[in-house]
Amino acid sequence: MSLKLFELLLKASLYTIGISLISILIGFAIAILLSGAMLSGRKFFSAPAQIFISFFRGVPLLVQLLLIYNLLPVIGINVPSIVAAIVGLSLCTAAYQAENLRGGFASVPRGLIESAEMVGFTPGQAFRRIKVPIALRLTFPALVNEAILILKASSLVSVVGIVELTRMAQDLAGSTFLPLEIFASAGLIYLVINLVVARAGGLIERSLPGIPR
Amino acid sequence: MSLPAIAVKNLVKQFGETTVLHGIDLDIPQGKVSCLIGPSGSGKSTLLRCMAFLEEATRGTITIDGEVLGFSESAQGVRERLPAATNRAIRSRIGMVFQQFNLWPHMTALGNVSEALKTVHKMSRKDAEDLAMAQLVKVGLESRAGHYPAQLSGGQQQRVAIARALALKPKIMLFDEPTSSLDPELTGEVLNVMRDLAAEGMTMVVVSHEIGFAATVGQQISFLDQGKLLFTGAPSDVFRKPRNPRLEQFLDTYLDRGASMLV
Amino acid sequence: MIFDVNVIFDQLPAILRGAGVTILLWIAATIGGAFFGFLVAVGRRYGGRLVNLPLGFCVEILRGTPFLIQIFLLYYGGPFIGLALDPVPAGLMGLTVYGAAYYSEIFRSGFAAIPVGHIEAAQCVGLTQGQIIRRILLPEMTMLVLPPSVNMAVIILKETAILSIITVPELTLTVSAIGSQQYAFVESLFLLALIYWALVEAAGRLGHLAETRLSRYRFSQS
Repeated sequence: MSLKLFELLLKASLYTIGISLISILIGFAIAILLSGAMLSGRKFFSAPAQIFISFFRGVPLLVQLLLIYNLLPVIGINVPSIVAAIVGLSLCTAAYQAENLRGGFASVPRGLIESAEMVGFTPGQAFRRIKVPIALRLTFPALVNEAILILKASSLVSVVGIVELTRMAQDLAGSTFLPLEIFASAGLIYLVINLVVARAGGLIERSLPGIPR
Repeated sequence: MSLPAIAVKNLVKQFGETTVLHGIDLDIPQGKVSCLIGPSGSGKSTLLRCMAFLEEATRGTITIDGEVLGFSESAQGVRERLPAATNRAIRSRIGMVFQQFNLWPHMTALGNVSEALKTVHKMSRKDAEDLAMAQLVKVGLESRAGHYPAQLSGGQQQRVAIARALALKPKIMLFDEPTSSLDPELTGEVLNVMRDLAAEGMTMVVVSHEIGFAATVGQQISFLDQGKLLFTGAPSDVFRKPRNPRLEQFLDTYLDRGASMLV
Repeated sequence: MIFDVNVIFDQLPAILRGAGVTILLWIAATIGGAFFGFLVAVGRRYGGRLVNLPLGFCVEILRGTPFLIQIFLLYYGGPFIGLALDPVPAGLMGLTVYGAAYYSEIFRSGFAAIPVGHIEAAQCVGLTQGQIIRRILLPEMTMLVLPPSVNMAVIILKETAILSIITVPELTLTVSAIGSQQYAFVESLFLLALIYWALVEAAGRLGHLAETRLSRYRFSQS
């Protein structure tokens, strides 16, 4: 297998990274809203959030992507397929991240909020200064995990025609008749990206002060 | 006679069906160390938490320096929650030390002590940290100012927690089993800080299993059992001639040879 | 595009066949994955470095790459090394190996999480090595690994959909094919999503039921 082919795979992997990164960020923003709705204690907000999360965690991502890709034009939204792919990935990761955030907020020890109350914090101050930073730290490992899952899951956007790493590998394998080498190389690139993310996540986690492990 | 620092009147606390406190009446005198003792589940921690309004009493009132905290109650028993700002203002006279320290893990020792000065009292960063540092010096931890709670021993964490409470210049300090989650060899450093504080004339309410501390530092001892206040008096009355059979039984179990020699 | 409910009823046998393939693949891959995963975990724990390192290497590769790439490598690359498999066996093999990698990690942490004291206590009361494994280790491990195992089974159920890409005639392939024949693609995808949602919910509930059942059984034993 020539270096040229490997270069093409590497270039395509930038799409994989870009799509995953954007989806994780958008998913995080949606997850904040979802977990807020679930922790609001009001059925009016928590029930729809619950259904959203259950649906996007209960349906294979492939089916979600096909559905969104084909549904958007039908309801009059004509966007490039890459947008549909990012929408699909974002909604899916939002559901998982929302569960993480909810768990993180729920596991901030009650005593840490009580001690904030005792030194005169308003509930809002205690939320901003104590609860949010601790919950984010508690959920950080799960976020890194989710990032790796999404990097791998982004391979599925190949089915809606996005030429990211997997689709590029598929195209090249078809045209060169070197499927073994090409898919192994693609796998290697995924592996390296994921190792880097895991390592970087671990380093950041260790530099975050104070959450005992 | 001066106004009690804390006046507890007919305090009832129920968790669902179970009644944890059965109408407690207790005055905490100014400038003295009051100890609440009693077996596990006697309600002493709940009583302390009610004094700080961390628990809402079912009936009865808590009065701090003559001002009602939490809920006011009319003669007809109609309870009314006081505005949150009022409760915060009254509660600012109280400092609280928890069994589990409850230091914020994402802030250094200095950060823990200075946080409320900055966030609540809007002090400048420098002023807040200077004041916080002075408090850490007082508990002997100036060299640990930059450490995170996870890097400190239990005893050190509890001393930081005491410094955090003291930085806000409270008039009353509440201690909820401050040494119960410490290894035995670490309780001394915390008790010493508390002794110093008592010597300065701080009004203190201490829930503790440290009978020795209660006997030597305590000036008023209250014994609770099954949610009832069975006895309140001077330490000499409690430890020399216990008359209540439950108190006698309790002391037999808890009072080891060392503590009885102290008396 | 108006959804004709009759279309579903007309195609019901085909849909049920697809669902049957999905469920069979799922059950086979889950059981196979758990079985081989257990062997890998035992091998890595008791087999020494010579077994542990290469197995760990393989597990990391399988966990660090997308399932789709693995299945492409097996299905399209296999014939080049004399492993020319039809879609169904290729899909089953790929899914089983994929599951085994994750299950081996579940079992490994299950082994690691059993307190040494429990084994020491068993030794002190005179249990033999075999008795300790059967009476102490395995029951305790079942409790520890059951929740993540149920989780993994649900993940495998969802991954079966990916096998449609290599033309395994499972649910996703069947229903989307019907959809395009009937010019009702979006509707068929909605139906597909609902079927999976129901299957995953049912599997999750069943798993939780097993967890509570088993934990009650353990309590009565202890």
